[in-house]
Order: sequence, then structure tokens, then C-alpha cells
Amino acid sequence: MQLPQILVDAYDAYKGKIVKPSDNLLHKTTGLLQNGMNARAFGEYPSPEALGDARWTDELILSTWYMAETGKVPSDMNFKTGKSDGGFDRLDFQFLPEEEWLEHSEEIDTAIPLNRRADGKHDLGIDIPWYGGGMSYGSVSINVMMARAKNAKRWNSYMSTGEGGYPTELYEVKENVITQVATGYFGVEEETIQAAPIVEFKYAQGAKPGLGGHLLAAKAGEEVAKLRGSVPFVSLFSPFPFHSTYSVEDHSKHLDWIETVNPQALLSVKVSTPHDVDMVAVGSYYAGAHIIHLDGSYGGTGAAPEIAKKNIAMPIELAIPKVHKFLQKEGVRDKVTLIASGGVRTADDIAKAIALGADGCVLGTTDLVGMGCTRCANCEGGPSGRGCPWGLTTTDIELQEWVQQDWAEMRLDNLYKAMQWRLRDILRKLAMDDVSQLRGRTDLLRYIGKEGVE
Amino acid sequence: MIIAFSLYRANLGVRMLESTTELEYAEVDGKLTLDRFSSQSTKIARETADSYHRYHIDTEEVEDADPLPHRFLVEVGKVGLATLLAKETLHYFRPWDPNFDVIFARPCTYGVFSGPVGGFAPKPELCVGCMRCAVQHPEFVKVLPNPDLLELGDSYTTHGHITAIDEEARKGMVPVRGQGYRGRFGGPGFDGMLTDMSEIVRPSRDGIHGRELIGTSVDIGSKPMHLTFDSDGRITGPTPEMFTIQVPFVFDLPPGDLGTEELARVVTSTAAEIDTIACLDASLVLREGLDSPYIAPVMDAVMGSRASQFPNARMIELTLTPGRPWGWDCSGFEAACDATDAIVAVRIAFEEGWQDLMSNAIDAGAKVIHLLADLHGEGSDGTFVTELFKEAHMMLIEQGCRDEVTLIGAGGIVGADHVPKAIISGLDAVALDLPVLFALQGRSHGSLKERALVSGTLPKNLDENWAQQRLTNLCGSWRDQLLEILGAMGVREVRRLRGEFGRSMLVSHLEYEAFEDISGYVGGGS
Repeated sequence: MQLPQILVDAYDAYKGKIVKPSDNLLHKTTGLLQNGMNARAFGEYPSPEALGDARWTDELILSTWYMAETGKVPSDMNFKTGKSDGGFDRLDFQFLPEEEWLEHSEEIDTAIPLNRRADGKHDLGIDIPWYGGGMSYGSVSINVMMARAKNAKRWNSYMSTGEGGYPTELYEVKENVITQVATGYFGVEEETIQAAPIVEFKYAQGAKPGLGGHLLAAKAGEEVAKLRGSVPFVSLFSPFPFHSTYSVEDHSKHLDWIETVNPQALLSVKVSTPHDVDMVAVGSYYAGAHIIHLDGSYGGTGAAPEIAKKNIAMPIELAIPKVHKFLQKEGVRDKVTLIASGGVRTADDIAKAIALGADGCVLGTTDLVGMGCTRCANCEGGPSGRGCPWGLTTTDIELQEWVQQDWAEMRLDNLYKAMQWRLRDILRKLAMDDVSQLRGRTDLLRYIGKEGVE
Repeated sequence: MIIAFSLYRANLGVRMLESTTELEYAEVDGKLTLDRFSSQSTKIARETADSYHRYHIDTEEVEDADPLPHRFLVEVGKVGLATLLAKETLHYFRPWDPNFDVIFARPCTYGVFSGPVGGFAPKPELCVGCMRCAVQHPEFVKVLPNPDLLELGDSYTTHGHITAIDEEARKGMVPVRGQGYRGRFGGPGFDGMLTDMSEIVRPSRDGIHGRELIGTSVDIGSKPMHLTFDSDGRITGPTPEMFTIQVPFVFDLPPGDLGTEELARVVTSTAAEIDTIACLDASLVLREGLDSPYIAPVMDAVMGSRASQFPNARMIELTLTPGRPWGWDCSGFEAACDATDAIVAVRIAFEEGWQDLMSNAIDAGAKVIHLLADLHGEGSDGTFVTELFKEAHMMLIEQGCRDEVTLIGAGGIVGADHVPKAIISGLDAVALDLPVLFALQGRSHGSLKERALVSGTLPKNLDENWAQQRLTNLCGSWRDQLLEILGAMGVREVRRLRGEFGRSMLVSHLEYEAFEDISGYVGGGS
């Protein structure tokens, strides 16, 4: 049998045809990339003609780069919304008259608690109402993973491992790393569960609900395979769903199992957004979840069938109010943390998600864009089979070096500063001094027609 | 059912029931008892099991014959590039360590600058739009969307649909990409419908996803709601009149000027390969000698008596007589039924009065209705096909004859996701028209709305084997994508998806539920 060329190339790369870049090459390439990103973000050159799409416009990408470089929001670009013609892009805030605004202040509290059950487990919280979503080792490089994890530590927040195991380097920041248990159990070990302050059960992913996980062969190199207990250069498909779960009772047993291994860990349940997502959320609460994490259908992925991304399950904007209201009706809303993800791009999106009923959000693509992603959609390997040419979603020996940890961590730190600033800006214009006051306040939102979309 | 029956095997079930009368077991071997019926059933089941093979579409990547315009144009300023090379040579070159790997490092992992003179002669056909070169060298590199690609298709069948079909027909695989959804929120037509999924249910406990056990076969024809027997065990009432195809799509009559002889041969051989049917002009079928079980000759209703000219066909389709658009041509239908043992289907356009026409056809005994919207998926009053298919489906339910009539529908089906959405809306199977043209790398000219006015050309010197493989690949890809949707829902057979509106979610409804109390929201959907 003849192997596909893409696999032959990947194997050749692994065997040494592609090598770690020399210091000179690293210096040259990272210098050009970083200077180029800054020049584009600062408007020294026109926006690249082929950059952006309806959800992430060129302005949104470049403004995210600007924030990642400066720690400030730009004054001459739309850093708030895309042009998708619906959802977050059609929602805006009804701010109070200017004379009622609060002063911009670091006293405006953006922290939220994660454990609302008062059950004696870790009393965890985060200083900003968002944390990093699961991106596995293999789907992204170790440099990207460590930059995100270190930045999470810096912000007293978290980052999920995704389903790809727990690289040794992560133990350095284990207090801020969520261990994900997904349907393939790749890399799930007693040790990694015991290390985690939060354990996340991933039932489904918004970009490919009901389809399990995909890591295509070209990206499943030796290190990745070793961590996942698999064979190098063989495609890895996590099944769907958990083969041991057919009911809420089965789900409850899963959570009991984690509790036995790590009694103090908070339990997060990540689900996508089917029609009965409200029932799923309540079931998860009664099974013992501290965090219900909804992942909407416009969310990111390292590889997913194109047909799944748009067509299966609902966008997060439509799922949040449904779940929030149902949890309220059931009388359990204040006993569980509702986290939203899947198409949450900006501080404005986060604020809108909270106003719709979430407690906080999870970011994935935003982090990647902050580090240079242009959303070219070749994360799965692309025609080269080597993964992301920017060095983000790849474990290619050469490419992954284009993203250096310190540089990437600095950019994420800056991006988060700008986002927190913008979130406080929104809160103060609503005369709120605590982000928790915004939850469920749909009365502060307005729906704008096409003529009002920026 | 995932078992792929041959035509003979597909009819075994029907024959088993008919056996009491037509095969005359009772006369040959005595009275048919329950025990004898049981033993015959066992025998047939054994034969079927012995001939079992899992249905599969053999896909194989094929080369382009007439490639689409590439996605991007890459412009490199020659002076800028030469200046860069000079600067870097001065900066990095040392006689003892020339650093050529640094000086000639190229910012593209896809080979756009891989030619002998690198960026001086870029290869835009390899560009995937990562923009790294344009960011890394903003002074002299530009990546632009290719206007030639953007011009393909029309306002409904966009270049996005065409490039997706092209890729599916080339590779025969489910397109998989990184990053999330890139398009608009919701949208009109099929875009306004989402399919549901289940967090814990799947079609089977077996296999990675259980999706290899999902059935995509559908029955074309009529199934009685129940069987009736006399005291001797003979069937006295109607028996099933149907045949089975292995995928819920057929090839429709090529619109406009696309119905060439070579296209007819390609769809015929592909229909046989994947076990479905192709609707072709009856005169073309005769002229080319294409009569086979995989062809549904389409003829004017007044020519119904000529159905006898197609002894191998399992289905004949009748269209209405021009000039008498709203009169049900009962005589033509009856003549066709008298002339052939094949199932006689009726093609009905979604024009004013289609409901009456459909009722008349069913009253006259039509078992298959082939519904036609325009190629933008709209009826003559502008209603989109999801609503029209639903109306037709509900009419049959109200008349208590849904399983006695097969609904095939066409119009606006240009993406893999449109197949399950049309079935959810009430169809048994969809008919493919324009996707055939684009799978074969044909080009359209002008509007793609009115069937009769469609104009297109296929690649010159069309290799029919190549074309058959392309079309087979498209079908394989669309079937696999259907399996993804069904697997996510936990539905084991596509037949169970028919009219399951509850398996879909409408963006307009979801939005109303989510945003109704938000100031300024007036409904209607994004």
C-alpha cells in the first residue's frame, strides 16, 4: 500500500529533512514576523486584502494584534464585533447617560467564583471572567500551550489541557491547568487528575458536536503519540460519546470516579448546544458539576468536518439564555457556574454573553489570534501536512519555533489587559462595579438592525 | 439497511410476500402454512445473509481536468524582493559560513515560492491564504482573493458551493479543516436550519462512532400500511411496489443545455456504480441505448404509452404536457401504467396549483412524486423548498398515505448539508442537478435559477471514466457527510429522518426564544 504523500512528507520531516531552525534563521524569521504583525496592526500598511472572514474580520484580527502588542484597545479599528450579521454582532449595550458613568477604575471587580456549591471543595475563582479553552498538545505546540498556561497563572485564571495528555512542562503551572477527560481518554492518568484543581469532562465540542475528536495523522508525531499512548502518524479519532455514558446516572458515576481520585477538584462538564441543552445542563448540575461549560457551534477546532461547523447544534448566543432561564426555573442557578464558549471573540462578546446569562467565558481562538493566527483554517495540517505556518497549531520541529514562549506570553498578557480594560469600560458605563451584576441583564442589551451594524 | 442488495436481492422481500400468489408454492407443494412460510423466510434470509456485503462507495482521488481558478493571487514586488535578498546577503553571508539557509529562507510552507527563482515567479495555485508572506514582508508581498473564482456561480450557488463540490469530487472525502465556522450567522434558506444532536445517544454501541452501521438506503415506490391475507394465507390486498436505492439521492434530469450524450452516459454508469437512479430524457435514453434499471426515462405525459420502450427501467417519470400545465393528464398516466411494470412517477413543479395536481396524481395511483423548485430552491411564489417539501409531506400525512407515496425533491440542493435538511423537511430522497455539472468541473454561464435557461459546458474531451469517478467521489463524500449528521443525532437510518422536524432547529425560532425580551428585536431571524 502506498502512503499518501502528506504522510510521507510528515515522516520525512520527523526523520530529519526538516530540522530545528538555526539561531540565525530563528532570529530572522521571528523578527520579520513580529515586525510585520506590528506594522500591519499599527496601520503602517493597508489591511491585507485576503485577510479575515465574516466572523473574524480583518479589523478584528488586526485590532487583536494591536491589543496583544500594546495592552490597549485601538482607537481607529472596530475591536468589538465582526460582520456575521447576527448573534453578538447584532447586539449592543444600552449605556446610561454619560453623567451616570462610573470612573474608569481597577476597583471595578471582574472576578467570578467557580465553586458555588459550598460543598467544602476548593473555593476557586478567577480574576477575570474567562479562562483558556482546551487545545491539546498535538493540536498546538508546547510553546503555545506553555504560553497560555503561564499567562493563566499570571491572571489567576486557568487553561484546559484539551484531550492530548499532560506534557511534563505543565507541572510547573499545574495550579492553573485544568485536566480534560474526553471520550478517547488520551493521556488521562491518575496523576494528571490528582494534579488538577479542576477536571473537565468534555462530552462534545461546539465545532463538531456529536462527532468526537480528530487529530489527523500528519500531526500525530512521535512525541504526541507517546503522550496519547498511540502509534506515531496514525490519525486519532476520539469516539463520540463516552462509551460508558447513556444517562445522567452514568454521567454521575463519571464525576464520582474523579472525586474518588481527587476529592478536592472542581468538576466541569463541557457540552455542546443541542435543542435540549437546558435539560443537559440541569442534569449535569444534579450529577455534581460545579461548572457547566456550553460550547456553541461557531467555536474553534484544530480539525473538524466542514459540514459540522455550521449545521449541527446552535450558536452560543442562542443557547446561553435558554440554559440560564431553565436553571433559574429549576432554582439552581446560583449553585452552578455557567461558562460559555464557541465564537466568543472579544471583551464585548464576553460582556454580552454575561448579559445573556453566563457567568463567564472560555477563549481559544482569541488567544491564537493574539499570538498571530490569521484564521487560514489549515490547523489540521493543511496541504503541507506540517500544520500551522505561523507555528501555532503544529508540532513541526521547525515551525513551532516561530512562536517563542516568552513573546507569546507577553502578547497574551497584553491582550488580556486590553480586554479587561474594555470590560471595565462597559461595566462603568452601566454604573456597575462588579461583573456579577451584569449576569442575565438582557434589559441592558439592544438588538440592532442591519443599518446599525458597524 | 446497510446491506447492499443487488437488484435481485432488493426484490427478495417483495417476492417473499408475493410468493404466496405469484410463485404458487401452494399449488406446487400444497397449502401454504405458517410453518412453510416460516421455512421459506428462513431460506431466503439465509441466502441474503450469505450474499451480504457492507455497502461502500469506492472513492479514489483523481486529477483535475479543468481546475477551478485558484483561491488567491500572489503579487511580489521584484525590486523589493531583490533589495531584501541583497540586504540579507550583506547581513548574514560569511565566507566561512554562508548562511544560505537563512538568506534564502522562504516564508511559505506550501511551496508558493518553491520554484527555481523563488518569489520572482510565485506559484499562486499553491497558496492557501495563510497570509504569512504578506505579513512578514508587507513592503512588497500582496495576497489577494482571486476575482475569477469569486465570479463562479450566482447569488445562490456561490463559488463556495462550487469549490466545495469540486474538492469533494476530487478527493471523495469529507472536507476537514481547522478553525471554526467563518460565515454569516444563520442565513436564508437551508442556512436558517440547524440539525440537532444528542450528547449521549449514538446509533450503535459498535465501532468508533457506530456510523458504519447507519443505513442510507431508501425505498422508492409504495408500501401498503398493512397486508391482508385470506384464510389460506394468500395475500389478498396490495403488496409493496418499490425498489431500494442505497443513497437518498438520485441524479435529476440535467437542466438547460446540460443534457448531453456524454453526461447521460456518465450519470448512467455512476448510478449503476452506487446503486441509485438517474433521470434522463427518454428520447436520449433510446438514442444512446441506455435503458437499464438505473435509468428513469423522463417523458411527456401524453407519450405515456411509450413507457413500454424501456423494459429494463424500474421507474418512468412523466412530465406535464406544455400548454396544459394544470390539467392532470390521467389518460397519459394510465397509458404509462398499462405499458410498463415499472413504477410510474410524476414530476410536478412548485407552481400555482401544485397541491391539486399532486392530489390528482395520487388519486390516480401515482406512487412517486418528483417535486421541482427552481434552482434557487424556490417555488413560483418565492417560498423556499424547506417549506414546500414540508407542505407536501404534511399533505400526504393528512391523507393517511405517507408510506404509500415516495417524495423526491429537487431545487437548491447544492451542498452536502442540504440533503439531510431536505429529508428532515419531508422528502424521501433528493434529486441532484447542478452538483453534477460542478463535480465534473463544468462551467456555468449566466443565471442558475431557471432550469430551462441553465447553460453550461463540460471540460473538453471528457474522459468518461474520469467523470464517473468524480461523480462517484461526490456521492461518497456526501453520503459520508450524511453519516456525520445522522451519527451526531444518534439516528440509525436515513429513512427515520424523513419529516422529523424535531431533529432540526430554525434559527428564527431560536432567536425569538433567546432575544424576545431584548429591546429592538423584531423577529424574523438573522
